[in-house]
Order: sequence, then structure tokens, then C-alpha cells
Amino acid sequence: MKLSGSYILPATPEQVWALLNDPVRLAKLLPGCERLDADGTDRWKAAVKFAIAAISGKYAGSLQITEKKPPKSLRIHIDGKGVPGFMKGEGLLELAAKHGETEVKYSGEAQVGGMVAAVGQRMIEMAARKIVQQFFEGAAKELKASSG
Amino acid sequence: MIPAPFEYHAPKTLEEALRLVERHGDEAKILAGGHSLLPLMKLRLATPRFIVDIGRLRGMSYIREEGGHIVIGALTTHVEVEHSELLQKKCAVLAETAGNIGDVQVRNRGTIGGSLAHADPAADYPATILALDAEMVVASSSGTRTIPARDFFVDMLTTQLRPGEILTQVRVPILPPRAGSAYCKLHQPASGFAIVGAAARLDVERSWKITAAAVGLTGLSPKAFRAAAVEKALVGKKASEKLLADAARHAAQGIEPLADLHASAEYRREMASVFTRRALERALARALGKSA
Repeated sequence: MKLSGSYILPATPEQVWALLNDPVRLAKLLPGCERLDADGTDRWKAAVKFAIAAISGKYAGSLQITEKKPPKSLRIHIDGKGVPGFMKGEGLLELAAKHGETEVKYSGEAQVGGMVAAVGQRMIEMAARKIVQQFFEGAAKELKASSG
Repeated sequence: MIPAPFEYHAPKTLEEALRLVERHGDEAKILAGGHSLLPLMKLRLATPRFIVDIGRLRGMSYIREEGGHIVIGALTTHVEVEHSELLQKKCAVLAETAGNIGDVQVRNRGTIGGSLAHADPAADYPATILALDAEMVVASSSGTRTIPARDFFVDMLTTQLRPGEILTQVRVPILPPRAGSAYCKLHQPASGFAIVGAAARLDVERSWKITAAAVGLTGLSPKAFRAAAVEKALVGKKASEKLLADAARHAAQGIEPLADLHASAEYRREMASVFTRRALERALARALGKSA
């Protein structure tokens, strides 16, 4: 499954960069993230609970950031396993200043497998799009709050 | 294939059911026909702590005329909707939609209220409920409220229903004479869900002028929606095969269709046009009193 798009965040690329590299603030923005613990440089262990209506699943996995070019781009890798299945993905985030705000372009690929994929195949892409949307909406709110 | 442990309640009255769902809040799931919830529970994708089985409540399975509406009890099964003479006569599209759901077992057990409350993005009823401007009547321990169809669906598997509320009735306006309606669907052969489902309603004058048009689409995006661009292209114009086909081209306008194993986004977009056109043609034929 490929995911790509862009989102405008109300802050400078430097502020967005700081947010993306701050695990404490990041953990609050990742939908369903219950824990995010440092596990080496630019690497974290994560516990995530996804819930969409009655369907929910807990995943344990890792989050890693590579190819850091502050404040222009970075690559995120995620890897998780849980009762309903597994997921693995990576994506490139590119930040560009635009009229005092920041346009974040993202493009990535994710694989979801196991029971959740076998049964929920027709809903997984929608769920992924929703999670990405929630993340950016949360980031926009957080940036607005911290600058105001 | 064995669900996680849960506490089972089978209330005898709606009041008792409302007390239970209020007490257990979002830890409770309401079980009606069970044809969406039970598969999720058996695969442990859903693990509710409390099940409130409303399947035994009396007096929630009916289809009758009331004022200018046809009212349908939430526990009315798809097969009862499909075979209702009242609906076939006065709101054909709803009976036709029910007949297109899943398979015989699903239609025998599944309920209209259960399907709407579950809000599967590929379910059939949401398209039709939207095209008909129907209303959902919802009960809670503090009273009842009515939610218009266009506000009811929020996102995939998510409606306006709050924990503690139970959908009790669907109210469908009776179509005026010289109105026609139809539901056309591209089935996903294994699951029976809609790859694309189109519900259409047309009000047509004797001169073939279209005075009102409504099109609801399901299967394309996280929730069913009204194809406003199609409707706009139809209203006030004289009906013709070409007009319907041209209008149907706008079916997925402004939508980024879902892509999955069964259909790419481009294919879904194209099929949305094709099935919208077919539904419009059948609705027109019915409005003009021809059999279709």
C-alpha cells in the first residue's frame, strides 16, 4: 500500500523539525501511541493501540528516523507486531517553507499482514489515511499551541 | 474462531437495554442480527467486554406507514425489507437495496438498524438512506432524538451514535407520484459487499423535466456520500439518455476513491459512473411508469 500527500503546518520548518525530533511531544501526536521509549540514537520502542469503532488492536514495535537533513527531510521507519497482525512501513517526509508556514510532503509504503489484513483488507488503506490525517491535525494543533 | 470472553446480556425491554448500554458505556457493544459484529469477535478484531443482545426485544421489527413516512423498526431484517409490499409499492429503492445485501443467510439474520449503526464503508443501505433523505430515530435513557441521514455517517464504522444510545427506527419519506428510485450495485463476489453501490431517486414531470434528483454512493470512500455534482447536472433539465449518462460522469467528483485488492481507484471511479447511470436510467423508467 502506497501513501502520499501533503499537509500545511502553521509553523516554520525549524519548528516542525523540532517537533518531529522530540519524542515526548511526538508520542502525544501519534494516534493510539501509549508509550515511546528511547532505544538508541533516533530509535524508539513504541506501544500503540489502534481503535476504529469496535475493531481494535495492540501493537508493539519500533520507530526509527534515518537520512536526517535538518530542517529539510527525514525518513521514518515503523515496524510493529500485535495480536491482529503485523505492519511495516517507511516514508520520506520533506519540509518546505511556504508563506511563513511549512508544507510537509510525505510519500511512503506500508505492508500490513496477518489476520487484520486478511479480514480488513478493504478497510486498511482508509484506516491508514485516517491515521495520517489525525497525526497532521494533531501536529497542527500542537504547533499552534506552542507558538501562541 | 472463538471470541474473547465477554459478559452477555439479553434484555427483554428497550428500557432495560438502555440501562445496560448506559452503565457500560463504550465497553458495551449492541448485538442485533450479529452478522457484522460476530465475525469481528470470532477473529478477535473486536473484543468488547459486554454484549447487549437486543435481538429479543419485542416490537422493534415492523414496516408501516405513519403520516407521510414509512417507518421501519431497527430490528427489521433485510429479507423483510426486501419482501415488503409497502416498500415495493412506495419506496422501491429500499426493497431493492435490501435484496442486494450479502447472501441469503445475511439477509435472513442481518437487520437494517444493525447495518446502519455498524456503518461499514461498503454497506448498501447508507447510499439509499442518503438518497432518500431518511431519518434515524435514536433512544437513550434521557429520551429520543432524530438524526438526518446526511449527518448520521461520520467516518468509516463511525456514526453520530453515542455510547448509551440505541438506534430504534428508520423513517423514510414516501416518494411522490411520478418519482422513481433504484439501486444498482457492483458486487464483490466473495463477500457480497459493494465495490460500488449507487442509489438514485428522480422526480419527473409529465414533460420529462426533472424537478428533483438524489444520488447516494457507497463503496468508494470511508463513508457513503451524496453525489451533489450529478444531482446538480440533472435538476431542471429534460430527461434523456444522454443527460443521465453525462450527469453520471460526475459521480466520483471530488472524491479520492479507495483502492484495494478488488478494484483500483481508477476502476472504482469508472464504475461509480457506470452504476450511477444504470440507477438513474432505472429510476427514470420507474418514474415514467414503465417497468424496469
